[in-house]
Amino acid sequence: MSAREEVYTRHGGKGGDRGQMLAEMMNVEGKPEVLDDILVLDISSANFAGIVAASFLAEFGAEVVKIEPPDGDPARQITPFGVTVQGVGIPFMFEGRNKRYMTLDIRNNEEDRTTFAQLAQKAAVVIESFTPGEMDGWGIGYRQLSLQNPGLIYIALSAYGQYGDQAQKSAKMPDTDITSQAGSGLPAQMGAPPNEPEPLNWPLRGGMWAGWYISGLSAALGGMVALLHRQNTGQGQMVDVAGMDAYSSMVGMPATIGFTWEKSRPRIGVLDFILYPYGHWKCKDGFVAIAAPRDHDFRALLKILGLWEQEDDWRYSSDRIPDILEQAIHLHRIIEEKTIQFTGDELVKMALNYSKKSARSKWRGGGVPIIMKLMTPEAAMENRQWLIRNAFQEVEDEQLGKYTISANFVKMSESPPRVKWVSSQIGKDNEYIRKKYLNV
Amino acid sequence: MEDYFSYTAKLFNPDEAVEKPEALKGIRVLDFSHVIFGPIAARVLADYGAEVIKLELPYYGDLWRPATYWGKYWKHSNPIWHNITKNKYFISVNLALKESKDLIYKMAETADVVVENFAPGTADAWNIGYEKISGINPKIIFLSCSTYGQFGPMRYFPGWDLLAQAASGVLTLNGYPDTDVYYKLPDYVGDFFPGNIGAMAVLMALYHRKKTGRGQYIDMAQTEGLMRILYHYTYYSVTKEAIGRTGNTDPSMMPASIFKTADDRFLALACATAEQFKNFAEAIGKPDLISDPRFADTLERLRPENAKALTAIVVDWVHSTTCEEAVRLADEKGFPAAEVADDYMIANEGWRRKRGSVVLFKDDVYGNLVIAGPSAQLSGTPSRTKWLARPLGYHNRIVLKKFLGLSEDEILALEKKKVIGTFDDRPGLKPPVYYNLSEDPIYNYGKEVKR
Repeated sequence: MSAREEVYTRHGGKGGDRGQMLAEMMNVEGKPEVLDDILVLDISSANFAGIVAASFLAEFGAEVVKIEPPDGDPARQITPFGVTVQGVGIPFMFEGRNKRYMTLDIRNNEEDRTTFAQLAQKAAVVIESFTPGEMDGWGIGYRQLSLQNPGLIYIALSAYGQYGDQAQKSAKMPDTDITSQAGSGLPAQMGAPPNEPEPLNWPLRGGMWAGWYISGLSAALGGMVALLHRQNTGQGQMVDVAGMDAYSSMVGMPATIGFTWEKSRPRIGVLDFILYPYGHWKCKDGFVAIAAPRDHDFRALLKILGLWEQEDDWRYSSDRIPDILEQAIHLHRIIEEKTIQFTGDELVKMALNYSKKSARSKWRGGGVPIIMKLMTPEAAMENRQWLIRNAFQEVEDEQLGKYTISANFVKMSESPPRVKWVSSQIGKDNEYIRKKYLNV
Repeated sequence: MEDYFSYTAKLFNPDEAVEKPEALKGIRVLDFSHVIFGPIAARVLADYGAEVIKLELPYYGDLWRPATYWGKYWKHSNPIWHNITKNKYFISVNLALKESKDLIYKMAETADVVVENFAPGTADAWNIGYEKISGINPKIIFLSCSTYGQFGPMRYFPGWDLLAQAASGVLTLNGYPDTDVYYKLPDYVGDFFPGNIGAMAVLMALYHRKKTGRGQYIDMAQTEGLMRILYHYTYYSVTKEAIGRTGNTDPSMMPASIFKTADDRFLALACATAEQFKNFAEAIGKPDLISDPRFADTLERLRPENAKALTAIVVDWVHSTTCEEAVRLADEKGFPAAEVADDYMIANEGWRRKRGSVVLFKDDVYGNLVIAGPSAQLSGTPSRTKWLARPLGYHNRIVLKKFLGLSEDEILALEKKKVIGTFDDRPGLKPPVYYNLSEDPIYNYGKEVKR
């Protein structure tokens, strides 16, 4: 049975129109692309927030030209443990989606700057990450480009933004993921509690590019708001994304808690500030994530783990929140004594069986305890759910060969995003771009 | 030519932001969603000018209303809820009654966008799903948010941000190698990040609708949203090895880690390129590192044995330097470094307030509250905050009367039949005790109020 048939016959609800629609939704072929009428110039340098923003627009159909110096964007060498395929780093391969590659030496060559300015006249979006004011100093900043092209949307990425005293003072400081995470408050909330040994109790970095991807998404989202305004009025504008804002501006908690509580939260290890149980526990063959924070979910969890005698002590969510850390850790151990007796699969099944009956029963109070095996990225790739949803895509680069990426990150019935090709070759489309946009 | 920073200061002047146009003015959003994932998608639209009508159940409300950190309330409201649902209209209708459905169908006629994040299939079972709403309004853009998506064998599994982190692999990447402890990403970022992708998808759909006149259905799975940020899958498919946990060190740049300074503060420091590394080596007075065969080449520097040697050198340097001095050198020479910012620093640092990354907002009901500004500043159509979250059912009258054109008698009848309702005495749902709702012209819209 093909994945598409399976959705229709088994996984599309009760059949009927909804099943059909969902099955069709998986199919992107022949569907229109939202941004197929715009040109995007990505001239970002050593900055994946810029590359990611460009990827998002490219996945929705924009013609994205990645402009690099003749020896390539240094981002090509930002790669775990120095692993490359023919000199191209893994993250650069991962983000090489639907892009064109052109070489221009913006830093050193006056003529190339003129070429860039000509291209920018045809462009809807420019993405750059030079130090604030650098492009402007070269005569190709928003101030100059927007004179010729008032509809231009100019997305600038930096550590501290494009305006204000701090932006000026730290203008030379480049933006990277780890400094963006740290400066915007993510690591402060992650790590072991203060009483544990160093360095475990230090602020902990998120083990993926949380800073750069938040900045990249914010840039694409801001750019999209600007594109809608441009669609309505013809007016362009400047979009300013600062790495030091990324995490705190997206989640909002640090600013408000720092104000209302007049101090910072401590690190509380694997616990959560609001919900309990909401974390992961050891089991016989690995780890399971458990979420049963509402009171009826928690009661259900006690029942399936055979811990009902604990109910009196931990009945309300206010009994379980970790405002007294020792108490919450005590409950954590009580639960672990049980989870360790079962395999991950057994626990998942126990929770699902309970929830299925609970959803239909008046007497079980609707409690839905959720248990799920903790998966590594490698294990997640094997999950049938993602196979059916085409969440992973095997792609082939002419030069670098086959590899797998996560794609199709949102499903849309009319104009879905898609990855049409991947490529990473420096200057591959020089001729194509010059011919199409510069009449050379 | 005018100085660049004086030009940008005018271009982005936060004091002028309120007078600038709103990009999404005239877009009406029905927000059936709850907790964080769906609400944040709708809030992003509201920040840029969309009129978002949030529906909740009377006397119950959104599950997240009372869910505050460590049970700490602020003026009988959940302080972090203000960030999640600001700028919205709060209407409270009892979905179990037929009259409520009729109200929703009526609202759907003029709506542009619907956002929901019930378990997949629930909205359809209640007859407020895409099939029903698109029958009323074919141009509707309908965003369904869920943990695993609307189709596939796991579609009925319930989920939270935690489960998306567990299912995507995100959770297993945080922590130190060779330990048995993992850490989840804090503050439900597994809701916020995919919620913002959902908002971007809606913007794409609006752009598409303007060109073609067609609405559409959007299936946003938060796990897939998180999977989009992991190049780890590609690394595995190329090398057949896992990256795994690398503690505080980012294995893709060198140096890149969080270090402890001479004055016991924490500093993130990184060099992503040869140029940044050169600046750093010169700044710390060790220019010989630039020509050291282990470190001269960027890719060589990343090899685990060389990375270890270089990290040890950086650990020693940071440990002998104050945080302030390290950051000063970074500013001056041009390499990335930042102190690990905590809640208190973020709430109080002057530059964030001046930039508008953090805003002291003066609200009519709640008074002063510090909230986060947008993660992207737009010069032409900036995001803005108009009001904070409101008590349950606060906008019932204004929505029914002004937006739907109901008469006073019709509203009375709905109140009597308990189709619409408000809050009970629970914090998170009710207004602050000091606040006299009977004098509030918006809560009492269309009635005479004494102020």
